[in-house]
Amino acid sequence: MRRREFLGRAGAAVAAGALPLSGARAAAWPDKPVKLILPYAPGGATDLLARPWSEVLSKVFGQQFVLEHRGGAGGMIGTEAASKATPDGYTFLFTPNATMSVLPNLRKTPYDPMKSFDPVGRAGDLVTGFVIHPSVGPKNFKEMVEYAKANPGKLSYGSAGLGTATQMRLEMLKFKTGIDILHVPYRGSADALNDLLPGNVQMMNEINVLPHVKAGKLILLNINHSSRNPDFPDVPTLTELGVSDADVPIWYSFWAPAGTPKEITAAFNAKIVELANGDDMKGRMRAINSQVPVQTPEEMRAYLDLDSKRNADLIKAANIKLE
Amino acid sequence: MDVFSNLALGFSVAVSPINLFWCFMGAFIGTAIGVLPGVGPVATMALLLPVTYFLTPEGALIMLAGIYYGAQYGGSTTAILVNVPGEASSVVTALDGYAMARQGRAGPALAIAAIGSFIAGCFATVLIVIAAPPLTRMAQQFAPADYFSLMLLGLTLAVVMASGSIVKAIGMIFLGMLLGLVGTDVNTGNTRFTFGISDLFDGVGFVIVAMGLFGIGEIIKNLGDPERRDLVSSKIEGLMPTREDLRRSAMPIARGTILGSFLGILPGGGGVLGSFSSYSLEKKLSKTPENFGKGMIEGVAGPEAANNAAAQTSFIPMLTLGIPSNAVMAMMIGGMMIHGIVPGPQIMEQKPGLFWGMIASMWIGNLMLLVLNLPLIGMWVKMLLVPYRLLAIAIFFFCAVGVYSLNNLNTELYFMAFFGLLGYAFIRLGCEPAPLLLGYLLGPLMEVYMRRAMLLSRGDPMVFLERPLSLTFLIIAAVALILVILPNIRKARQEAFQE
Amino acid sequence: MRVRAGQDFATGILFAVIALIALYIGADYPMGTPQRPGTGVLPRILSLCLLGTGVFLIGKSILFGDVAMERWVWRPLSAITIATVLFGLIIDDLGLVITMALSMSIAALGASDTRWREFAVFLVIMMVGSWALFIWLLGMPIPLWPVRVPKFLTFFFG
Repeated sequence: MRRREFLGRAGAAVAAGALPLSGARAAAWPDKPVKLILPYAPGGATDLLARPWSEVLSKVFGQQFVLEHRGGAGGMIGTEAASKATPDGYTFLFTPNATMSVLPNLRKTPYDPMKSFDPVGRAGDLVTGFVIHPSVGPKNFKEMVEYAKANPGKLSYGSAGLGTATQMRLEMLKFKTGIDILHVPYRGSADALNDLLPGNVQMMNEINVLPHVKAGKLILLNINHSSRNPDFPDVPTLTELGVSDADVPIWYSFWAPAGTPKEITAAFNAKIVELANGDDMKGRMRAINSQVPVQTPEEMRAYLDLDSKRNADLIKAANIKLE
Repeated sequence: MDVFSNLALGFSVAVSPINLFWCFMGAFIGTAIGVLPGVGPVATMALLLPVTYFLTPEGALIMLAGIYYGAQYGGSTTAILVNVPGEASSVVTALDGYAMARQGRAGPALAIAAIGSFIAGCFATVLIVIAAPPLTRMAQQFAPADYFSLMLLGLTLAVVMASGSIVKAIGMIFLGMLLGLVGTDVNTGNTRFTFGISDLFDGVGFVIVAMGLFGIGEIIKNLGDPERRDLVSSKIEGLMPTREDLRRSAMPIARGTILGSFLGILPGGGGVLGSFSSYSLEKKLSKTPENFGKGMIEGVAGPEAANNAAAQTSFIPMLTLGIPSNAVMAMMIGGMMIHGIVPGPQIMEQKPGLFWGMIASMWIGNLMLLVLNLPLIGMWVKMLLVPYRLLAIAIFFFCAVGVYSLNNLNTELYFMAFFGLLGYAFIRLGCEPAPLLLGYLLGPLMEVYMRRAMLLSRGDPMVFLERPLSLTFLIIAAVALILVILPNIRKARQEAFQE
Repeated sequence: MRVRAGQDFATGILFAVIALIALYIGADYPMGTPQRPGTGVLPRILSLCLLGTGVFLIGKSILFGDVAMERWVWRPLSAITIATVLFGLIIDDLGLVITMALSMSIAALGASDTRWREFAVFLVIMMVGSWALFIWLLGMPIPLWPVRVPKFLTFFFG
């Protein structure tokens, strides 16, 4: 890979000097395998979303889109590695917003989400919501809020870890509704689900709970997304429930190391948008309870800015601290 | 009971020629990968996941599962032959397995590991077939407080495991737990003992510690000791276990299988305890506990059976609930998702062919591994005939590449160099690294469960005594500790009087 | 052989020193409350336990004698350690071939009975095998040939 990077750098330099117009260069890209760096270990939600993308992109571009997992330090190690990769259009970052708009608000990161990366495209939003264990009693969102108000601190909520977007969702809910729910951090969402199913904790908000909702083992209270989940058409969104501006989106996206040729990121974005609008990708994403919003790189940058500010405010309001 | 119709369905799927082929490929690749220290099944499965898209869902999962248990077999081989454990369970195998290899009995050690694993695999498969749902419910009885007490019990077992000084073993457990705390604290996000190095934020990988302490430490010792190290390659007695070996291994295999089967179901780190507790049990039951660590075949047979049984039953939470209990199971789920199968409690009803086919393939896979591995033993043992001056360099290189392959992090090689130094120091100081490694594995888990239990009980420590499971484990731990320490105090007193 | 200061004594010193360092580093970790134990609780408890074990071992060896320590072998110790560290320093930049040649030769210096001609043949076989296994078959992201000047060298030589 390093050798390829080296050759790629030489190639990019030659190309940059040769052609001022985009057509030829963007048309030639990609002429060798492209690496997508994932900042987490294989098998998690990020891997799950990246797999269909790598497969479809490999097919339409005729070059392999290889996944490289660089897990560790809550995603910081892989994200840092991607920020330092050669910006030649052959290395990209595939990440949830945790590393871009949550983590940098909690601790010093060795990269700057705004400056170290160029936006490429949105890869999928998770369409899921709060679930509750049936043994507690409440059958819908309103009953849950009433129950929590009547029994402050009695409910507990399992998150995938401190400073993850799923914790942010709980803090936002507490902040907006004024209810008291105990936050219990776990090492990843599978670990939390394990304690949720027997009712050791009573609430969660992750995609891996949805099959258990279908099986009747858990109750889905709401959807944390702008639209409902087609698999659960009767479950309302937070906005519909009258809790406005309370969504904390969990969104996945492609980023390029800063300085990657604009023609390449534009061509990549165009293809992502085209695929996201196609039925094949829509179907694949729906199967894993996701939707892909369509954005230009500029819109995506503005969206990151907005999301980062929202998380920063929430972290301050809820007094969440790391280190 | 429709067990038989289910099994018939499963076998009809698993013995189709193409699925048999994928099963064989998985087992074969897994064995080859497992033999390489550090290169684990997770990385291999991640690599092969895109390929499985072109297979049927059944073929894909059968092959992925094959890689997993194949790697377990392969890992034991390296532990026995050259004392390099690539994962937690092979640490125990290395203790007596490597001692046997040094006595020229690598063949019987490898064979008994394969036979023990096969028997355990068969039993665990049957267990999954007849009792997966009730076992899942049983595992769900475990709350964080129960896990804490189970881990505490596991640590007292580490004391039993030690073959030398008890005090030193206890010290090594404390040291291991302390090393295990390096990294980010899950409950508060604080970092501990990281010296500001971001590569330490997730702690040091277990494989790095194990390869450093065992593999590298051993190379250093042997290279400095030309007379002794040639013993490894000079005499090789028999490739197959004798009748006596088999007789001695029978009960340990049976006990290890049962112990491992039940611990493997627990998704919160129970599987780790399987091989460790089997070793401690065999040592306690043995008439000659003082020979453990010096090449007792019981110390290989029991833990290997326990390990393989646990590996097999760890599929249960994944199969019945769709919950991955470890990274390997997460990859299996990834394999399902690629084919548009959403893992969860409904798989058993919706995809019975897939579900039962995979279970049936486990049994077939185990049989294949036995057939594949027994003839290979001769070849492995011949490898020991390579002069040690070259073998040592090869082991060093495979450890280094293996560590680098984990995350492509250069710093992890420096960590391994450090643990190699430490490993050699421990050999010279007469300290055994196995209790340290168990402390390293269980210490952080114990802390997480303790604090989680306290959080959920809203700060009431009585939760550890009020829950029957937790209380039971605590009582067993206390009794075990007394049983171990009493004879030692008596012995120490006698020694003191003799002086 | 029974001596006054041997294995147990040295182990005790090692345990005690590590425990004291851990106590020092962990001194400012928050302790939390009894209901919500903080980051610092377990490190403190374990360090004290380790310190206690160390002191016990030192005392025992002084009072009741000790087992003599075997001679340390510095040559393989330093050779293998340097080889491992060097491997980490250069694998990214100089590639598999050069890294194998350098690190394995240094490791071989640690063996007193290395036959260099035999070693050279062995090294070449290992190189071909490793290329086939790790790069060709497993597709590990390791370069085969040098890519750039290693970072630590540019640090020393500008």
